[in-house]
Amino acid sequence: MPHDTSLLDPPGARGTAPAAAPSAHDDLRALEAGLDRLQTDADERPGPWKVFTRSVLPPILFVIALIVAWQLYIVIAQPRPDIVPGPLDVAAALGQAWESGRLQTAVATSLERGLLGFVIAVAVGTPLGLLLAEVKPLRRAVGPIISGLQVLPSVAWVPAAILWFGLSDATVYFVVLMGAIPSIVNGLIAGVEQVPPQLRRVGTVLGAGPWRLATLVVLPAALPGYVAGLKQGWAFSWRSLMAAEIITTGGMIGFGLGSMLNQSRELADISAVLATILVILAIGILIELVFFAPLERRMLRRRGLLQGASR
Amino acid sequence: MSGQTAIRIEHLGKRFGAGPVVLDDVNLDVAAGEFVCLLGASGCGKSTLLNLIAGLDQPTTGSITTPSEGAAVMFQESALMPWLTAAQNVELALRLRRVARGERRAQALELLATVNLADASAKRPHELSGGMRQRVALARALAQDRPVLLMDEPFAALDAITRDLLHEELERVWRLTGRTIVFVTHNVREAARLGQRIVLLSSRPGRVAGEWRIDAAEGRRIESPEVAALSLEITAELRKEIRRNAA
Repeated sequence: MPHDTSLLDPPGARGTAPAAAPSAHDDLRALEAGLDRLQTDADERPGPWKVFTRSVLPPILFVIALIVAWQLYIVIAQPRPDIVPGPLDVAAALGQAWESGRLQTAVATSLERGLLGFVIAVAVGTPLGLLLAEVKPLRRAVGPIISGLQVLPSVAWVPAAILWFGLSDATVYFVVLMGAIPSIVNGLIAGVEQVPPQLRRVGTVLGAGPWRLATLVVLPAALPGYVAGLKQGWAFSWRSLMAAEIITTGGMIGFGLGSMLNQSRELADISAVLATILVILAIGILIELVFFAPLERRMLRRRGLLQGASR
Repeated sequence: MSGQTAIRIEHLGKRFGAGPVVLDDVNLDVAAGEFVCLLGASGCGKSTLLNLIAGLDQPTTGSITTPSEGAAVMFQESALMPWLTAAQNVELALRLRRVARGERRAQALELLATVNLADASAKRPHELSGGMRQRVALARALAQDRPVLLMDEPFAALDAITRDLLHEELERVWRLTGRTIVFVTHNVREAARLGQRIVLLSSRPGRVAGEWRIDAAEGRRIESPEVAALSLEITAELRKEIRRNAA
């Protein structure tokens, strides 16, 4: 089909004359640049205003609506204040706890335990997860037990921990670790399992040995699963911590949010109970928002896995 | 055949476990700097043959001699690391080749410029089109700096216009770098467009069923009459091979 050649054939490039070669290359360069431009769009990031109206504003509006509905219920139904307090009562209880310094102590104690426990869980869970992911016979043996541990509520360890460690911080940390480590291990194993075999093959072809294949290819490729595991691990350690703190009070154990919750229950102070629950919830949300959400979003955007960011 | 032999395949046979024979008594010599296309229908074991040459798999019988430096491989999927930019993907190959840290960046940019992607060095794979990804993969394969480049249907998933341009690009890079290229494809025209020599493999078991040598110099195109004529001839032979399987 001779009429087709005019489209891509620069005049003079056919004859293979050496003088024509650079111009043919320039022509190819221009063609490729044009096609590249046609086949890709600029990766647009939403502006700060759009981020605010799209992801910050809606939950804030919803929370305000909830509080308004709550207050309306109090005004209209007038329930007994010692059973259903209003938002103002709860705010007052919060203020009281702040003034007495109990709130600050409790938040500081619980956060310290939660974060420290989480860091230890990461330090233990990561090598353990890698080992189980890469050594198949070991995973077949230990894998089901680790998955089982994830299902077992870590509160179940509290009685055993009290018998082993007494009423000390070791009991609290033990329960936190039993809650968080299985999640982190499982997340890492799942992440490694989802690494496309093609990437491993490329790594081998490029000349990577087992160690460099693991560190340069498999681990980074498994990062999304690992981060998901970390996120869940944090949620489990925070939950386990609260359970442990509610159950184990007295002895040498410091005063945490769980202890505060339990104390308020003993005093039958429903406003203080609700206030403490809200603080526990708020801390969980805050850690998710300031730490995990940006980490996850950045990682997914880099890999083109975020909706709206990829073509 | 000019120059010394880069790849020598003698009486090569391959079967997986107790399965059917995939390759049977394959004999093939590839000269240094030659561009050979391996052509065949599905099930002819062309990818298996490529994996054997790459050393990703071991032959059952016979032998394969390849340069001691080994071979670079390019797959149908670009298989770029999604968390690395184009330049970092090329740098990874350099790093695994133990190129000094300080030199990697400059070399990677140079290799990307070779495939006309100097401007896309900071982009991540998901921001690139399919054709651009394959060019990054080509730059990465070149970064391995091995005398032999094995390509397993690298352009099969691309649209016709992009593929046409990449044919030109590959031919240019081949002339520039003097690599020995073994290019696996099921596209007869692609083989006739690119190869200096076309080797047709029969299916089940894979054997060398025919060979064509092309003397035409630079400037061949997919729509050139000589490519069309050769394609007709090879297609007729390929169909004969496929028909044999009907019985």
